[in-house]
Amino acid sequence: MRIDPNMVPDILSDLQQSQVSLNTALQEVSTGKSVNVPSDNPAAAAGMVQNTIETGDVDQYTQNVSSVLSTVQTASSVLSSVVTSLTQAVTLGTEGANGTSSTADRQTLATQIQGILSSVVSFANTSVAGTYLFGGTSTATPYTADSSSTTGYTYNGNNDSNSVAVGDNLSVQMNVPGSQVFSNASNNVLGSLSSLVAALQGGNASDIATATSGVDSALGFVGQQQAVYGNAETQLNSQQTFLQQDTVTLSTQENNLIGVNEAVAATDLTQAETDNSAALAAAAKVLPNSLLNYLEPPS
Amino acid sequence: MGGLNTSLLIGVQALDATQGALDATSNNIANVNTPGYTREVAQFAENGESQSGDEVSGGGVTLTALQSVRDELLNIQIQQQTSQQSSVNTQSSSLQQVQTFFTTSGDDIASELTAFSSSLAALSANPSNSATQQGVLSSGQNLADAFNTTAQGLSTAQSDADQLVPQTVSQINSLTQQIALLNTQVSQVPASEDGGTTQDQLDQLVQQLSGLTGISVTQGTDGETITTGSGTPLVIGGQSFNLQTTAGTNGFQQVLDSNGTNITSSIQGGTLGGAIEIRDQVIPGLQSQLNTLASQFGTAFNSAQAQGYDSNGDVGGDFFSVPSNENDAASGISVAISNPTQIAISSDGSAGSNGNVANLSAALTKALPSGQTPADAYASLVFQVGSAASNASAQSTAIGDNLTQLTNQQGAVSAVDINEETTNLMRYQAAYEAASRIVSTVQVLDNAALNMGSSTSF
Repeated sequence: MRIDPNMVPDILSDLQQSQVSLNTALQEVSTGKSVNVPSDNPAAAAGMVQNTIETGDVDQYTQNVSSVLSTVQTASSVLSSVVTSLTQAVTLGTEGANGTSSTADRQTLATQIQGILSSVVSFANTSVAGTYLFGGTSTATPYTADSSSTTGYTYNGNNDSNSVAVGDNLSVQMNVPGSQVFSNASNNVLGSLSSLVAALQGGNASDIATATSGVDSALGFVGQQQAVYGNAETQLNSQQTFLQQDTVTLSTQENNLIGVNEAVAATDLTQAETDNSAALAAAAKVLPNSLLNYLEPPS
Repeated sequence: MGGLNTSLLIGVQALDATQGALDATSNNIANVNTPGYTREVAQFAENGESQSGDEVSGGGVTLTALQSVRDELLNIQIQQQTSQQSSVNTQSSSLQQVQTFFTTSGDDIASELTAFSSSLAALSANPSNSATQQGVLSSGQNLADAFNTTAQGLSTAQSDADQLVPQTVSQINSLTQQIALLNTQVSQVPASEDGGTTQDQLDQLVQQLSGLTGISVTQGTDGETITTGSGTPLVIGGQSFNLQTTAGTNGFQQVLDSNGTNITSSIQGGTLGGAIEIRDQVIPGLQSQLNTLASQFGTAFNSAQAQGYDSNGDVGGDFFSVPSNENDAASGISVAISNPTQIAISSDGSAGSNGNVANLSAALTKALPSGQTPADAYASLVFQVGSAASNASAQSTAIGDNLTQLTNQQGAVSAVDINEETTNLMRYQAAYEAASRIVSTVQVLDNAALNMGSSTSF
């Protein structure tokens, strides 16, 4: 049977194919990716859309966790200081309720409690980066002096709280409003301190004792509120660990979808190089072959 | 009984015939690289023998024809595969162009959706920070831009395909006119004989035509009849029928036959069929999904925005301005607000609340009316573009292999083999030399016969 004498198209197509493999292998090694355009692997490219979005979210959640964590820690330490101040107030109140205290002593104590009250108010007005920790979601200064109020202070914030997204379906409460911590109807921190000041100024030992126990119960209540922050902190820490794992999972997934196995890619490249040189060598050997090479030139 | 003259005659005939064969061989060698050239072989036939008394003597040789060796069936198969391949190639190159817009590049829809989602998460942690608010606004703008760019990319690919239509039609018309001329010439050659070089040219042009559009070729008494795959006549004998193009109601070029009937939707194969398929089927399919995504996503985000209050304490207005015609959604979507204070961050109207950010974020992860989340809807678009592009190029490779196979078969039948021609050259050289020797020998013998008796030694 006669065969096609023209080997050029076959040779060219072989050369082209080996060149394509060479380019692909080279691109995989140099980019570290096996999928550079969707047609390289449509399913993997589609999978990467979700992966990219999740990776971006996890990065942001991780940042949110650390920023919320620092806010929560600040709030928690502020409440610790409040607890310390209130403990001190209880000690002073107990001292004032003692029958041996003179009126002058009680006036001095009243002044000291007044000082504690102001420092507690300034704790309640703590702000981080322009945001008040205990003002609810309001941007107004939480407590301002108000002579018409029984406590001497008015709450300008609101009763809401913000929750920050730290996961796809997880948000953490970032703040407890001041109306709950400091001016709660049942356990009013500021109110109890004001009452103690008034009782000390009044000089009635039993009133002072009642007022002191009021401060004591407010002290217990603040301790409970602190637990809210403690819980948030625990939750955030465990979420941080989860997000770190998730980052690893996502990057593993990315690698599975579009990554290149370096060893395989390097082997492929060597293979493609060998194929290409073989195709070229074969072309060089075969193309010039002709019967004419072996014939004597006509004499 | 034959005389010396008979031998001389046979010798001269042999010289003539061999000369013709040498011509064919030279012509084959000369055209070894000519596209479409079909090798010619010399066909010899022995002449009738003459009888004189009991003696029968041969009548010498005649070169009956220089026959071009071709296989019309293979030609038809090659034409069909060529049509398919150029259709697939046209689609493949268009899809390669389209898929760059769906590749992770930093400003594609997936990347911008990621940035938008992150910016909202950041807003959740810092609701009253003007930088994070601005971040949401900017990434929203970038996302709208990404939709616009992708939509633009699709329309550009579509209008590129559209431009191919009139160009290809004018090439088709020019080819069919040339084919009709050659058809007339070939049809004058008797059916028993080969059209030779004219037929070569004709085949070559028909093959070019098959690359432009799918055709069907039948042999008739007055040459070849060529129609489109669906039967619209292009060439009948010596007459060609021009296709025409005209702008359609959708703004794209429509193909009309010579009577003015619109045959656009029935055209398949070739560059023309490929361009029309990309323009009228593939790209509109992608566009409609992209538009649905842009429209539903924009609307969903606006509803989330309406659930909250902006920094001025007003109920959130539209964040995205979504064109009312869904067909313009992806190309026309834009950010409706200009000031970050108009983002509905608060759920209670107070400036420090972040309560509505969760709703805004949820708009990105909740299923749209289409049943898919925005990310899934986009991912499925990426998958479709990718698999369309990869199918087209796989098909092109497969048809290419098939075509190489067919071309090899055609080459086996019709291509010039230098080694074969060299061998023939030597054969004919030997035959020519031998025939010359007949002539010179007869001349010597003639001389001997004529000189009989003029110089006797007796």
